[in-house]
Amino acid sequence: MRKSWLLPCLIAGLWLAAPAAEAAQDEGPLLAERCGSCHQTTSGNGLTRIDEQRKTPEAWDMTLVRMVQFHGVELSDDERARLVKHLADRQGLAPSETDGFRYILERQPGVIESPPDAELATLCARCHSYARIALQRRTEDEWRKLAHFHLGQFPTAEYQALGRDRNWWEIASEQAPGQLAELFPLKSEAWDRWQQRPAAALAGDWRFVGHHPGRGGYHGTMTLAATGDDRYDLKLQLTYDDGETASGQGAGILYTGYEWRGRSEVGSTTSLQVMALAEDGTTMTGRSFLADQDAVGGQLTMTRLDASPQILAVTPGYVRAGEGRKLAIQGVGLAGDVDLGPGVTVDNVLSADDQTIVVHVQAAADAALGGRSVKVGTIAADQALVVYDRIDRLSVEPPYTIARVGGAGGAVPPVAAQFEAIAWQNGADGAPGTADDLRIGALPARWSTDNFDATAVALKDAAHAGSMQAGGLFMPSGAGPNPARPFETNNAGNLKVLAAVDDAGREVTGEGQLIVTVQRWNDPPIR
Amino acid sequence: MRRITLACTALALAMTVAPALAKDYLLTGAKPDKLVLIDAKARKVEQVFTVPDAGTGIFTITPAPDGRTAYVILNQWESVAGIDLTTGQQVFRADLSSAGERVKATFAMDISPDGKELFVIESPVKLLPDQYQVQPARIAVFDTSAGIGAKPVRVLPAPRRTAVLMAAKDGSKLYALSWDIYVLDPKTGAELGRHPLRTWQRANFSAPDVLDVWPQWDATGIFSTPYYTARTDLDASNPDAFKTGLATLDLASGEFQTVDFESTSAIIFSSAINPARPTEAYGVYTTLSKIDRAKGSLLQRIELDHTYYTVNVASDGSELYVGGTMDDVGIYDTATFERLGEIAIPGGADQVLASLRLIQR
Ligand code: HEC
Ligand code: HEC
Repeated sequence: MRKSWLLPCLIAGLWLAAPAAEAAQDEGPLLAERCGSCHQTTSGNGLTRIDEQRKTPEAWDMTLVRMVQFHGVELSDDERARLVKHLADRQGLAPSETDGFRYILERQPGVIESPPDAELATLCARCHSYARIALQRRTEDEWRKLAHFHLGQFPTAEYQALGRDRNWWEIASEQAPGQLAELFPLKSEAWDRWQQRPAAALAGDWRFVGHHPGRGGYHGTMTLAATGDDRYDLKLQLTYDDGETASGQGAGILYTGYEWRGRSEVGSTTSLQVMALAEDGTTMTGRSFLADQDAVGGQLTMTRLDASPQILAVTPGYVRAGEGRKLAIQGVGLAGDVDLGPGVTVDNVLSADDQTIVVHVQAAADAALGGRSVKVGTIAADQALVVYDRIDRLSVEPPYTIARVGGAGGAVPPVAAQFEAIAWQNGADGAPGTADDLRIGALPARWSTDNFDATAVALKDAAHAGSMQAGGLFMPSGAGPNPARPFETNNAGNLKVLAAVDDAGREVTGEGQLIVTVQRWNDPPIR
Repeated sequence: MRRITLACTALALAMTVAPALAKDYLLTGAKPDKLVLIDAKARKVEQVFTVPDAGTGIFTITPAPDGRTAYVILNQWESVAGIDLTTGQQVFRADLSSAGERVKATFAMDISPDGKELFVIESPVKLLPDQYQVQPARIAVFDTSAGIGAKPVRVLPAPRRTAVLMAAKDGSKLYALSWDIYVLDPKTGAELGRHPLRTWQRANFSAPDVLDVWPQWDATGIFSTPYYTARTDLDASNPDAFKTGLATLDLASGEFQTVDFESTSAIIFSSAINPARPTEAYGVYTTLSKIDRAKGSLLQRIELDHTYYTVNVASDGSELYVGGTMDDVGIYDTATFERLGEIAIPGGADQVLASLRLIQR
């Protein structure tokens, strides 16, 4: 059996440490040596196939792994890392070409894709995400060769559901390549322009704010030290909103001039960062998640400490009319008075420096409901604070997701699911679920699960599929048959995810759905 | 008691070649390389043959008409082996792939009624140094006496995604279940006609979904497959919006029929028809269904203890056998659906996608 993307080697290629080099290495000779025996030199002095496509570092890594697994190419970890860097830098995507599809790189859980072209999605996105396709750029001929690879490698594709109901092969090889080349062409103005950019230099201090579902916000400082060729060592200090502090270290690489892939060790926890550097080079946005549980993680933003003054986060981003509470404002270059608009007054500044201001505020009973700006001196953050006077409903995020059984002696560990309870107030129309609803924010909730439907009741899914922990983390049960279940079935299940909070003595509840299913034996960097 | 036994023995001696006394045997495959011959009425495994170079397992099984040899697709679909069912020797072998071309025999295979020619579907791909090139699907025709290292004597064009090949009883036609059932000339591959499935013209019905890779017509000479269709004039929430039916093709007469028999309430993987009561068909997956294909109705349905992909019927129609997937063949009374017993596959090996065939000898 060929090796596959088991979790332990997950995305490892992008974080593999490569020897530090002073300047950008030209890996052309290595490419020619390792690839040239099958990929002929072209008239433009490139290599066939390899030259005709552009893609993300993750996608290049997947192709390299396929060359190793299917075609017997020998690559050391070091060579693999160097080639990913070389290819992603020279044949990557412009930042704008990844817009709308970064969730797949960030490994966001529970994303339900909404591909613009439903026909193409049915043809191509039943085994993997549509984002895998939308994050590549190829000539028509290359899109066609990719179709040949698919059926050549997976001959049953045209027999499977959604393959056999159409002339899958004829459409995939004759119609789709032209359509794909139009949607996702090799040549683009955005890429031409991006290649003219000056090199990014990330060394220095970065201020970051992040959100970890189930735990809340955190903020801190990361210091990057260049080790050569877009590689950096990192050190970080962080403070959770609950007051706990920690420090850690790690390393990262910048691919294609903007694709940051960082890795940090804080205590015994390894986290990965998948971030995009904005064009002005001062801000990175993306997601951080646990290296061994990528469903557990959240949004992360970083700004250079010497960037122009700005507010990065206000936590929590809500206050109840008629009540007082503590608020923290995180940013860079903070100076001046805090102004929260009419009806919300600062009655005590608890601490203040240029990065963090902690205040105690009082919201008047008649303060205007809704989002409002937060101002510090001359700078402002729009819609950074919500005033509400009642929680009308809770939503569970993600509303629908999956967890996977695992462990129990098997090779694949369980895949957890992390939920958050989001509080809402109905807008002026008094009706839930309409455009004027007010999103208050994430609240700590009481969590539980129940059987989703009659089948789940009969099979006692809620009792077997796993357990919900405080903070909304669902841990699935062990893999394999369970003698306590009918048909000795495994611990799969279909569950309601229930969240409850108290709002002025009333219990408000919300519901999501969780499918607990079997292991994923093959978990590539781009699903 | 004793007298009856004697009488029977006498009869048997008098009619040594009588087909009436031939016994039913089942053939199935088991991981990774076993071909299993079962004495059906005795409820026992008669012989287990080890097939050389089987790869991960055995898929489609095609017995020769005389029941002495069985041809199996194996080796990740890249080879066909013929096994002598008395000696266990490999008497035929065709390795389909070559240096520049990888060839997969995707499910479909049948043998001519005279046992002389084997028809194998091929899905080829050219392996160039830096790219793959998918080739048109084709049918390789082998001379069954070609032995080890057999090469095709003819190569016929074939519809893509052919999942079942069926030789007409008189050998004049070859049927290919693809989107429709194509009627092919076994000499040239020329299309002689089509029995419509995807191209059927039924007002207010969607094209049916068919995935059948199961040759289970041994006792009747009638191929059958479940299909699923949707009423385009009904809302999807209407319980009658989805229909399950049975398509049948009589390999002797060429008669083709479709009949809806229920509003879809169970998944059926494969089906077989009762030789004694030919209006009765059985469908299998997590349940066992009895279908009246004359009236278009569901007569009975029971839960099975686990998933079975395959079903075949005894030549006297009294009992049926469910197999595939796991490591047993279950036996049910066709009249009552009472479970009569089971036969364990030696070593607990799974049958997975292996065919379940019935031979007599
Ligand atoms: C032993 C032969 C061989 C070597 C060496 C080889 N490849 Fe390939 N490559 C192939 C084959 C065959 C295909 C077509 C099948 C496929 O896509 O897997 C291919 C396809 C590709 C493609 C197109 C993939 C796509 O998604 O359409 C790229 C890009 C590629 N190779 C890159 C490389 C790189 C980079 C190297 C060197 C590290 C390399 N190959 C070395 C045989 C080889
Ligand atoms: C039968 C399932 C299936 C279908 C349908 C399918 N794919 Fe894939 N695709 C795969 C698998 C599996 C891989 C990963 C191959 C590997 O291991 O590198 C893949 C890989 C890819 C890649 C990444 C290739 C690379 O090396 O960069 C792209 C892009 C892609 N598919 C596009 C498509 C398009 C376009 C279609 C529709 C024409 C399609 N896929 C339909 C299974 C499928």
